[in-house]
Amino acid sequence: MANPVTREPSEQSVSTGRRTRPHHRFEVRSLGEVGALAVLIIVFFAINPSTFLSIGNIRTILDQAATPLIVGVGATLVVLMGAIDLSVEGVMGAAGMAFILTTENSRGSVDLGPLSFVVGIAMGAALGVAAGLIHTRLKVPSFIVTLGFWFVGLGIATVLFGTETIPLLPDGGIKAWPNETFLGLPHSFWLAVLVIAVGWVVTRFTRLGRFTYAIGDSEEVARSNGVGVARTKLYVFAVAGACTGLAGILATLRLGAGAPTVGGGVLFLTVAAVVIGGTSLGGGRGGVLRTTLGVFMLTVLTNGLILSGVDSSIQSGVSGAVLIVAIIFAAWPHRSRLRIVK
Amino acid sequence: MTRSTSRRTAAANARPAAGSVDGAPPPALRLTRITKTFGPITAVKNLSLTVERNQVVGVIGENGAGKSTLLKILSGLHEPTSGVMEVAGRPVQFRRPQDAVAAGFGVVHQEQSLLSNLSVAENLAMNALSSTDNATRFGWYRWRQLNREAAETLARVGAAIDPRAIVGDLSFVDRQMVEIARALRVDEQTHATPLVILDEPTSVLERNETAILEREIANLKSVGSVIFVSHRLDEVRRICDRIVVMRHGEVVADRPTGDVTEDDLFKLMIGHAAKADKRSDAGRTVGAQNLVEVRGLTRRGEYRDVSFAVRPGRCLVIVGALGSGRESLARTVFGAEPFDRGEIRYRGDVVSSWSTVRATRNGMAYVPAERRTEGMVGGFSSTENITLARTGARPRFVLNRAGQKKLAREWFQRLDVRPDDIKLSLQRFSGGNQQKVVMAKWLQSDRLRVLILDHPLRGLDPGAAETVNDQIRIARDAGTAVILLADTLEEALDMGDDILVMRDGDVTARFDLSVDTPTTLDLLERMV
Repeated sequence: MANPVTREPSEQSVSTGRRTRPHHRFEVRSLGEVGALAVLIIVFFAINPSTFLSIGNIRTILDQAATPLIVGVGATLVVLMGAIDLSVEGVMGAAGMAFILTTENSRGSVDLGPLSFVVGIAMGAALGVAAGLIHTRLKVPSFIVTLGFWFVGLGIATVLFGTETIPLLPDGGIKAWPNETFLGLPHSFWLAVLVIAVGWVVTRFTRLGRFTYAIGDSEEVARSNGVGVARTKLYVFAVAGACTGLAGILATLRLGAGAPTVGGGVLFLTVAAVVIGGTSLGGGRGGVLRTTLGVFMLTVLTNGLILSGVDSSIQSGVSGAVLIVAIIFAAWPHRSRLRIVK
Repeated sequence: MTRSTSRRTAAANARPAAGSVDGAPPPALRLTRITKTFGPITAVKNLSLTVERNQVVGVIGENGAGKSTLLKILSGLHEPTSGVMEVAGRPVQFRRPQDAVAAGFGVVHQEQSLLSNLSVAENLAMNALSSTDNATRFGWYRWRQLNREAAETLARVGAAIDPRAIVGDLSFVDRQMVEIARALRVDEQTHATPLVILDEPTSVLERNETAILEREIANLKSVGSVIFVSHRLDEVRRICDRIVVMRHGEVVADRPTGDVTEDDLFKLMIGHAAKADKRSDAGRTVGAQNLVEVRGLTRRGEYRDVSFAVRPGRCLVIVGALGSGRESLARTVFGAEPFDRGEIRYRGDVVSSWSTVRATRNGMAYVPAERRTEGMVGGFSSTENITLARTGARPRFVLNRAGQKKLAREWFQRLDVRPDDIKLSLQRFSGGNQQKVVMAKWLQSDRLRVLILDHPLRGLDPGAAETVNDQIRIARDAGTAVILLADTLEEALDMGDDILVMRDGDVTARFDLSVDTPTTLDLLERMV
């Protein structure tokens, strides 16, 4: 291996039979996903040579990918533990409404300035904590809890929306921020890059992140190894909620108005991206960068199909088919043994 | 290592007492009248045990004798229902595994307790993460340091394992070495005097690895204490200063090693003496036709061109070292793995599209080595597990509860399963008793014709092993063809009528024990 500091266990030690396989920091299989993404890009470029790789379309793709990328970081952490977070669409709505009503808007409710961002993210984190508490304390499966919190979030958003006029963001100012560019690429994308970087560091270098892998492998064994399983889960749901809250704010900025349904469609996109990227739904395997690949595959696919003039109803069918094919391929190496055929 | 710089937090209850009343150092561990109950079941009853400093104490007992519960109490996984636990003269309570680590307790569990998706180094550091270990201080991983420390620890047990390797990629033996290395590491991680608890660490180790372990135990003895749980009576006698025998949750004997013989220990454990001669060919129903025949069977990467045949009432033992391909071969015969070339004949006919369903329908049974993951439904009661493959008497789609219970009771008695509670969920039983239930599942079937056993004795104590072997013999004598992957060569010579020796996927020798009399050395030579 490349690291000269770590001495290879030397020859004088007793061999315990079979040599161990070298450990690859990036599993070889990710190359498959990179390849699939490259194939998609090449195919759509061949079909739409003038438009697909234009700077404008690249910006569109990156801007569209930003929201699911941010949600995907939190979702990956949750799925790594073997849990799932289905609440993202509701939480995005609640966080988005909380944000828009505390910033400068057409309804003129309150204007907390930059603090409104904190309010939005805190709304997401709070919902995540609540879901995490119910999941860990009352031992309700995350699937059910977060399904409930989807609608709790939508309910909060609807109450905040009320019956008054639609809250709109004023033209210019923060509304335009996501689409403005830095180094030629949209701010929304840079924000996603920042979140991904933090997510990667967390999963790679922190106890919280490594514990999510441990819990995903086996809660029982993790507990006997001294992992605070309940606490870790709670933190992860809080982090996931915060990510979703941030995504809700971004989606609201891009929409320019407050809407409880601002997160519509994001759930399928992120869960699919997590799986397509190669993070196991059973937990313990995968990572944030893989999800990033998954999001890009789906975003490029959607964008390319639109550019190629494919009917929108067929588009969703194609996305679903891609998901199923990806799951089949992802699960293939683990099929051979009897124990998996459950 | 990092002893001087690392700070301890929660270890206050484990600090050695400043001085004891009578001047002599307090024992490393003293248990007084410890009792642990699970609902109506008492797993450990009024157990008192003392481990002095610099002493190796052996704990032996049959499966279900309460050893595992005792170890779980000592590792902080179970809290005792009543009783007092003292470490170095101070009363302690272990509420979490971290408390046990902080008190200097390192445990090698019988059931593997490593996280298979993490690297060796991470697993080695896992227990220490809860405290402020340098390599992971403030929850931040310093990978280089982590890997370097892991390499040092692994070098200590002489294991050539890459600290960066993923545990799931390691062989069973290597994983066991990692577990041992982790337990031995407690003295580097805590200021407390180490007490290392080894739960049957040698059951899967080769001889040279066992020697390393024995050397490490001797080293540990000079700095701390060791509790050594094993089924190998000769080993316990060789390693331990004192031997504690448990039966039915109680301590039935606590003697210095010099005062007891192996026979004494066996009697104390089981309650009766070992049977002398197990081999008897009288009264067997041996069929004339081959029941299972395999010709030129090949699976790429596993085994090549294997042929053998088994007749009813005969036992074929396949021996081979790690990587011999015999496990895969056995699974193929049962239809659980595909093959590339060759044929399997069942009652003379070539089978096509062979599967586990067809195999089972035709009276084949498979007892897997990984009983926890493959052989049983842990959450089901033992009754449900026994009757899983066949749902009792007719009608077929309605479960006959009363019949099932009767069947379960009958088999519990025959196999001496403990605790004698047919409603208890199977995961609550000890390993040996689980294996008995798994065996009962297949043995109860009147359609049983072929019994394939993958390491049926792994991790079993002598008493349970004897029961299991007796049942295999009964089934064989009644006309079942047996294919056995034996744990030890002694077991192979004891049980087999024919022996097939494999090395790296090839058959290297065959012995018909009615004609040949190979020694274990003969077998070994062809295995490696």
